[in-house]
Amino acid sequence: MADLKKFLIRRILTFIPTIVGVTIIVFLIAYVIPADPAKAWAGGEKASPEAVERIKERYHLNEPWYDQYWFLIKGLATNTLIDPRTSNPVFDDIRDRFPVTFQLAIIAFTFMILIGIPLGLISALKRNTWIDTLVRIFALIGVSTPVFWLGYLLLFVFFVKFRITNLAGVPPAPSVQITHVPIIDALLTGKFTLFKQHLARFWLPGFVLGFMGTGVLARFVRNSFLEALSGDYIQFLKAKGVPKLRMYRHALKNALVPIVTVLGLQFGGLLAGTPITETVFALPGMGRYAILSIQNLDFPAVVAITFIYAIIYVTANLVVDILYAVIDPRVRY
Amino acid sequence: MQEEYKKSILDKLADKIVYGLGSFISLFKKGWKERNKSKMEEWRLMLYALNRSPPALIGLFFVILFILVGIFGPRLAHWRYNFFPMLYTKSYDKIILAPPGSKFVLDYYNNTVITFPLGSDHYGRDLLSLIFSGARTSFVISIIVISLGVPLGIILGLIAGYYGGKVDELIMRITDMFLAFPALILAIALSAVLPERIQNFISAHEAVQKFVLWLFALDVREAGNLGRLLAVILAMIIVWWPAYARITRGSTLTEKEKLYIEAARAIGLPARTIMFKHILPNIIGPILVYITLDFGGVILMEAGLSFLGLGATPPIADWGRIVYDGAQYFPKAWWLVFYPGLVVMLVALGWNLLGDGLRDILDPKTRRSIEFKVKKSKKEGEANA
Repeated sequence: MADLKKFLIRRILTFIPTIVGVTIIVFLIAYVIPADPAKAWAGGEKASPEAVERIKERYHLNEPWYDQYWFLIKGLATNTLIDPRTSNPVFDDIRDRFPVTFQLAIIAFTFMILIGIPLGLISALKRNTWIDTLVRIFALIGVSTPVFWLGYLLLFVFFVKFRITNLAGVPPAPSVQITHVPIIDALLTGKFTLFKQHLARFWLPGFVLGFMGTGVLARFVRNSFLEALSGDYIQFLKAKGVPKLRMYRHALKNALVPIVTVLGLQFGGLLAGTPITETVFALPGMGRYAILSIQNLDFPAVVAITFIYAIIYVTANLVVDILYAVIDPRVRY
Repeated sequence: MQEEYKKSILDKLADKIVYGLGSFISLFKKGWKERNKSKMEEWRLMLYALNRSPPALIGLFFVILFILVGIFGPRLAHWRYNFFPMLYTKSYDKIILAPPGSKFVLDYYNNTVITFPLGSDHYGRDLLSLIFSGARTSFVISIIVISLGVPLGIILGLIAGYYGGKVDELIMRITDMFLAFPALILAIALSAVLPERIQNFISAHEAVQKFVLWLFALDVREAGNLGRLLAVILAMIIVWWPAYARITRGSTLTEKEKLYIEAARAIGLPARTIMFKHILPNIIGPILVYITLDFGGVILMEAGLSFLGLGATPPIADWGRIVYDGAQYFPKAWWLVFYPGLVVMLVALGWNLLGDGLRDILDPKTRRSIEFKVKKSKKEGEANA
């Protein structure tokens, strides 16, 4: 256990340089790469000289680079970076939009697990049959389909033809907030009509977002389950005459370790895939906010959004690493 | 009696390709063909393995089609991408979006009635021609991103893995910094901030501008939009190299411990020779598979970025951009979303199928089993004779 503790401390310490690196790249994106940051922050070509001057003053763009960097870090840490488009502190804007994105990712994740894991197990048990081939093709199609195309295709089927989904606005969050994810809160507080409304709005975008990962997950589950099944201990169980189902349970336990890590990584990937899905389904989430800010050359928002996505992504990786070490006693640190 | 066993047409074609390639190299290096018999035999078996895997063949078919249309697309297109016709019904009402296959009057004065097989976009342009022209955009972008991003990653990975120590630490920390961002998000942010500087550069260098215009088969009028187009390319290069640096470093670490590298070092070969002539050829197999798969990935990401309104701007033909502009007429003008997206999917699927097949083809075990089968059928053929 002492080893585990040491590993945890070391792993969390490596988190710090990564975050510093993230802020450096974000700084480059906001201050160094744009030919004239002040003009860009003020709104590009159409900005008036006074506005540019004001922005320069407000965002410390006349100071030397280390001062600008410090201002950026301070702004990100204390939420004093103001979005010129909405005049709110940027993280306030992001906080309002985060639940939508998070809920979308959770629903996509649920779809992925509910479809991907059973498919993978079936194709492992029926190896080299038509089911296996079908899953393989499904995985290939999953990684080759543009998200926006699938989105519009399913919109056509489920919204235009059958009206099974809803596209307008976003249902309100329940008044009692426990997890701050509306759909889960609605379920926990027993507001089933609200839950249904959320489901009607989110199931299709969730499915579209999760589609790409589902096939990949199924293939991964298949391979790791097959690998577990070829272990010596399974041969031993076979020789002992243990019933098949119990044998599978043993194999599954060992196969789950890599699956959990892949799931963690996939969740980060799902969050990253939200801008396109949110654009197709007109969901007012973080991804949509990022795209709108970019279209308006709203740099503080771009900076904050990029930063937040990176933080979530890195944290997901960190959690996966730790989880991996905790659930698999064989891992040496 | 050597040719008794039956070879398929594809196998015979494979023989010819390898023989032709050998002869071609022999033109420049005398006696190459005689010296490299076993290498050519391996190539032949690789092609045989390809012939025996239908998914890979289908993938190859789509890929070749994509490359051909990518090169000749702008010529194949019946209408130029920047030709904006006025479309009228037969009773001379103006049409904004012509559905696929519908008849309309193109020339008000001559009464020329034509149809667009895949319909028109909201500027009245023929969608099929746009898809042909857009193939060039996609093709050039994917080639540039892969041919600049991947070698950059491989070289940095080789250096990091081979030298180790502080160099390794420095390169890998930088790699980690970039890998901390989700690829799409970083690409979005970069393609938003890069255009201005690139546009300034392009405007200042006329030769570069001409070259880029030629590359994308664009008119001089589009020179002002090149910055946005190139920004997406640069953004994707920046996003793409870190993964390759990491993969290459990993395989270099295991490869450099092997005995033959130690021997090479013992006889005093320079580090550069060891890295590029000895380590690289031995680790390139899996990387080649990644490259093939990533061609599909680049095309998907490019389509995604231009769907978000980044990159190519109208009238430049670009598959993702057609969907972005056409989406406001969805579902009435479904063809503007359906066909370009379908093309993106087929191309990405082609690369993915090929990459998946390549994994088997590059595996020496597959080649040995085919060699065994070919020899067996040869013997059987001799016995029958």
